[in-house]
Parts: sequence; structure tokens; C-alpha cells
Amino acid sequence: METSTYQDVNQQVVERCKGGDNRAQYELYKLYSKAMFNVSMRITNDYAEAEDVLQEAFISAFKNLHTYKSEASFGSWLKKIVVNAAINSIRKKRSELVPMDERMVAEVPDEVPDDNDVEWQIDKVRRAIQRLPDGYRVVLSLYLLDGYDHAEIGEILGVSESTSKSQYSRARKKLLEIMREPHFAA
Amino acid sequence: MKDRLKDFISEHREEFDVYEPRPELWQEICQQIPAKRKEETKVIKFSFGDSFSFSGDMAFMRVAAAVILLIGCGLTLWFTKHNIPEGNYTLATTSKPAIQKIAPELTDIEAYYTSQLKHKKEELSAYDLKVLGLDEKRGIDRELARLDSSYIQLKKQLLTAPNTDKVMNAMIQNLQIRIEVLNRQLEVLQKIETLQKQTTEEQLNNETNV
Repeated sequence: METSTYQDVNQQVVERCKGGDNRAQYELYKLYSKAMFNVSMRITNDYAEAEDVLQEAFISAFKNLHTYKSEASFGSWLKKIVVNAAINSIRKKRSELVPMDERMVAEVPDEVPDDNDVEWQIDKVRRAIQRLPDGYRVVLSLYLLDGYDHAEIGEILGVSESTSKSQYSRARKKLLEIMREPHFAA
Repeated sequence: MKDRLKDFISEHREEFDVYEPRPELWQEICQQIPAKRKEETKVIKFSFGDSFSFSGDMAFMRVAAAVILLIGCGLTLWFTKHNIPEGNYTLATTSKPAIQKIAPELTDIEAYYTSQLKHKKEELSAYDLKVLGLDEKRGIDRELARLDSSYIQLKKQLLTAPNTDKVMNAMIQNLQIRIEVLNRQLEVLQKIETLQKQTTEEQLNNETNV
């Protein structure tokens, strides 16, 4: 019940935005900007770039609001825009996100590395993610933090589902390596 | 298959969102989105034909225009800054250049009301509240502070609201209410004063009659 009323409220705001209501646009921005900025920040790994992406994404969202058909929640619709804008942004600046040779090698055994010796701290994990190479960081963030599954990630990045899977397990391994580094203090 | 990393992150998902964009970012976005209900922004197109366009060989015109614009903005800012009267009465006076752009008349309005309010306050302080047996000055101060904080809120809204006239009216109303509050207080004090005078005169009369 509560979720449905919340949705309704959201829907009203979205409708007002479609009519060009500036206040409603600000309301949506206030509601989603922080979460969306963090999505953008995780992909770009650069504050200024993340802001550019956020700006671009919100502008394009408001301009294309008429294409939003409330099948999905507004949040996930907006998030898709942010993710795509962020990935385009890093693609422009950097080379391939998933290197060619890794696209070929699809199957990588799902070995789970031993992680008993790792100290689990939010800040530490977060900083370790930031230190991952672009391709690893993007897949790992999309999977663990943004709630996309491998099929969706494959679609977003233009690779196969199994490539996303193997990329994730490599990223995960690398992350644990970073966290184990003696200099990587908490 | 157990993935401790995944479990750990989903347990603490909220805490991973640590970044926030600059607050000013909204304004930058705001300027670039179409607002249909607002009066359409007029775009004046300069077209002098292909041979005399602003692109290409006329590139220096753009630079010149930019420089003139910058100098203009700088001068306006400088002048408006120096025009704000120094008021020691607490009122959130405008200092943001953005507000200057949205509502240039605001500085003058604020200056007028600030001086009015200051005047009323001086009148009020001429009364000795303790002698008149009143101790509700704090209530009034609180009311004025409340008005001031909602004034600040309104001013923030001025930056984002599509209808600046409405917000401006609310701001002016806010200032008028403050003057009204002070006026009422002055009236009350005057009444009490005259009442007290009357009673002391009566007392004197009584005493002389006895």
C-alpha cells in the first residue's frame, strides 16, 4: 500500500515535469541526484567527470521525459540514462572497457578466492574499488552496487553475459589483492 | 556459492553512497532544460546571410562579445555590491549575484524595509518594558527571527522557482508582516503607558482628596 502511494506521488511529480514545471523538476532532482551522482562517480571515478555526466543525464532525462512510460520505476529509468552517459563518457576518454582478448575468453572457472584474511571495512572496500582498472571497476560496481545482473551488464557494455561474469570474477580477485596489499591501510 | 564481498556490500549498500554533487549544479542543469509553462525564452537570431555570419572568419567577434559581456557583468556586480547600504539590523540581505540577476529590484526593496524596521526598533527600545510591566519582548524577537528564517527560505526558492513574482510578493509580504508586528507592539505599549498615566493621576487625585 505504502509503496503504491509513494509511486503515485512520484508519478504526479513526473507528470508535472512533463508539463515543464520547474519546481517539480527540482523535486525530482533533489530526490535522485545523490544516488545518481554516486552511480556516475563509480563508473567515471572522477568528480568533475561524474558531475558532467550527471548534468548531461538530467538534462536528457527532462528533455525525453515523454518517452518514459512508467513501466519501470522512474528511478531505474533515470539510472539507465546515467549509466549510459557515464559509460559513453569514459569510452570517449579511454580505450576499450573490456579488452578484446577477454571477450574471446568467455569461460573462466568461478573459483572463489580465499577471503578469510581480508578485513571488511566499508571505506576500505570502497577505496579498493576506486583503485580497480576501469573495466573491472565498472562491471563490479554495476553488479554489486547498482543491482544489475550479468545479462543486463552485458547489454549495457555490448558484451556477452558470460564475459560480464568472467570480468566480474577477475575484478573481484583483483579487489581482494588490492585489499591485501600491505600499504593499503584502512 | 558464497560471495562474501557481495554479501558485505549488500548489507552496507547505503553507506557506499558517499559522494554528493555541488549544490550549484542544479542551477547549471536548470538553465539548460526547457520550461514550457514559463513564458518562452526569446531567442534572437542574428542572420546576416552566409557571407556575414558569426562563424568562421568572424570568430574574433565572439571573443570580442565575450570580453564585453564579461566587463559588463563585472561592472554591474561591482556597482551593485557597493550600493548595498550597511544595515546593522539582522535581515538576510542579498549578496548572491544570481539573485541580482533574477530580481534586481530586491536590493532596493530590502534596503527600504531594513531602514523602516530599524526605525521601528529604535522607537520600541525607547520604552522601558520592565517599568510597563511587560516581558514579552522575547516572544517578539522569536517571531521576527522566525520571519527572517522563512525569508531566507523564500530567497533560496527565488533561485529555482519558475514564477519569481509570486516568491517576490511573499518576500515583500514577509517584510510587511515584520513592520506590522512592530507596529502592534508599539500600539500596545502606547496604550499601557496612557493607562498607567491615568491610574497614577487617579491615585494622586484620590490622595489629594483624602
